[in-house]
Amino acid sequence: MAYVAQRIVFSILSLFVLLFITFLLSHVVAGDPAIVAAGPNAGAAKIALLREQMGLDKPLLTQFAIYCGQILQGDLGTSWFTRQPIASDVLRELPPSLELVFIAMLINLAVSLPLGLLTARYAGSRFDDLVRLGVMAGAGLPVFWIAIILQQIVAGRWQLLPTAGRLGFANREFSGATGFYLFDSLAAGNMNVFLDTLAHLVLPAFALSLLFTAVGVRITRTAMIGEFRKDYVTLARAKGASEPRIMFRHVFANGATPALTVFGMQFGWMLGATVLVEEIFGRPGIGRYAVKAVTQSDIHAVVAVVFVVGVVFLLANLLVDIALYVLSPRKQQRA
Amino acid sequence: MLRLLTLPKTNIERAAVILALIVILVAIIGPFVTPYDPMQISFRSKLLAPSSMHWFGTDGSGRDVLSRLLHGAQLTLSATFFVLIAGVVIGCTIGIFSAFVGGAADNALMRLADIWLGFPPLILALGFASALGASLQAAIWALVFSWWPNYARLSRMVTADILSQKFIASADALGVPLHRKVFRYVIPNAFDVLIVQVTLDISAVMLAISGLSFIGVGAQIPQPEWGAMIADGRSYVANGWWIVLAPGVAIFLTALAFNVIGDMLRRELDPTSRRR
Repeated sequence: MAYVAQRIVFSILSLFVLLFITFLLSHVVAGDPAIVAAGPNAGAAKIALLREQMGLDKPLLTQFAIYCGQILQGDLGTSWFTRQPIASDVLRELPPSLELVFIAMLINLAVSLPLGLLTARYAGSRFDDLVRLGVMAGAGLPVFWIAIILQQIVAGRWQLLPTAGRLGFANREFSGATGFYLFDSLAAGNMNVFLDTLAHLVLPAFALSLLFTAVGVRITRTAMIGEFRKDYVTLARAKGASEPRIMFRHVFANGATPALTVFGMQFGWMLGATVLVEEIFGRPGIGRYAVKAVTQSDIHAVVAVVFVVGVVFLLANLLVDIALYVLSPRKQQRA
Repeated sequence: MLRLLTLPKTNIERAAVILALIVILVAIIGPFVTPYDPMQISFRSKLLAPSSMHWFGTDGSGRDVLSRLLHGAQLTLSATFFVLIAGVVIGCTIGIFSAFVGGAADNALMRLADIWLGFPPLILALGFASALGASLQAAIWALVFSWWPNYARLSRMVTADILSQKFIASADALGVPLHRKVFRYVIPNAFDVLIVQVTLDISAVMLAISGLSFIGVGAQIPQPEWGAMIADGRSYVANGWWIVLAPGVAIFLTALAFNVIGDMLRRELDPTSRRR
């Protein structure tokens, strides 16, 4: 239990570092927040009034405390462009992005785990070399470029998958309680919408996953390769255990933990990378929201997205670490 | 630099070294050898398919894609190298300082670096760049801002390792001054490890720079930065596929070449990862 408590304390500490970074961005780097908040055409008197209202005449440390208080109460500020509370904007945009990241993560795991395990088993072989080259190629692909190419060829020329959006025209009226259409459509028993949602997710999720899969294969290989050299593998071989049994039952079960920790971190990184694909595929989501906010110089909305992605990142890591701890039969302490 | 030519063991590695040298050469002399002015708008020659006149075609405003690509090499690569150099200088200063002082300050700095390191770098850079106001300079500083902890962590580790060795104790006994210890003992010893990491990071930084430019917080259209060129070409992709294809392939091949070289350097220089 000490481990779980320690992880929670670390996450809270990380949350404050995140708050410090977003405070730095919105209050120091962006210039005077009162000028930003007042909008482009405000007079000096209005700015002075806002400065006082926002507590900007107080010392920076006091401002940071006020800022933390606001954020932790769920007040992410008001977008000066849409005049809407940013928190509700972000809550609306988060489900489609999370849905995208879930599918991308499934693709990532489905490729990375078997390829990582097999390349570790056959390290140094031609197969290993080939996969390594593929990994280096994958790590060099610009996500936004491959997204455009896939969209043009697979959706445009071959017409195999939809080009853009979240749902086809026939299902445009659909809406659900949670905003996760895959879940909502299943709950409503509407297979048609479920498959339509899935078809719209395939290309963006695949484009998003490529870079992360390249890293995933490498991480899994590194995690597994040491395991194959351990004594228990020699023992299992000596006892006549079959090679698949050694790979899956022994090596995979033992070596998966460090790799899964990295996949937990990738979840947050993927959510950040949605800024590169959502706009291309015309999907609503937090990435597209951030890009739109950037073009409208809506600094508070951008910083809010930074904060929310950071929080999701921290939560995903915490959950993965706790899950791995609970599942681990040894309950050993992990650094 | 000459050593680089003797390291490759396979044809792929040889090809990668040659490709990287070509790209660096193009980045240096590219602007002097371009067939056309990369910014010259000419609506009469817009959206021309690749031909002997325009090898890579022309874009939606009639600009020569090859010329823009050659100019873009300089823009994209110099931005990438600037991020890495600034990141190394800032990161190593903090890392080496941290290892020398030790104790609570060391602990706090490294914890900060750990946490900072984890946050999604692209979204962090996006926030920073848009706070600064979108421009290539903003994107560069934004990436330095989200990249320094990598090198702080690495240089602290290497420095702490060097400081624990016997020759440092002897140097202390002889009264060797601090700056001499840093510049004569620590930095030369840390160099190999750093160069491997920096080479492996080139592709990631380049993808981030071009990604930020693509979104619109980095280089601004019509600057011929490769990511911005892709963003610019998007609206013509249906009847001018070459505008998007060329810069994408350029980014991909450059990133791949540096990834292969990084992998090779790790094998040759980093004693901890001898795998074969």
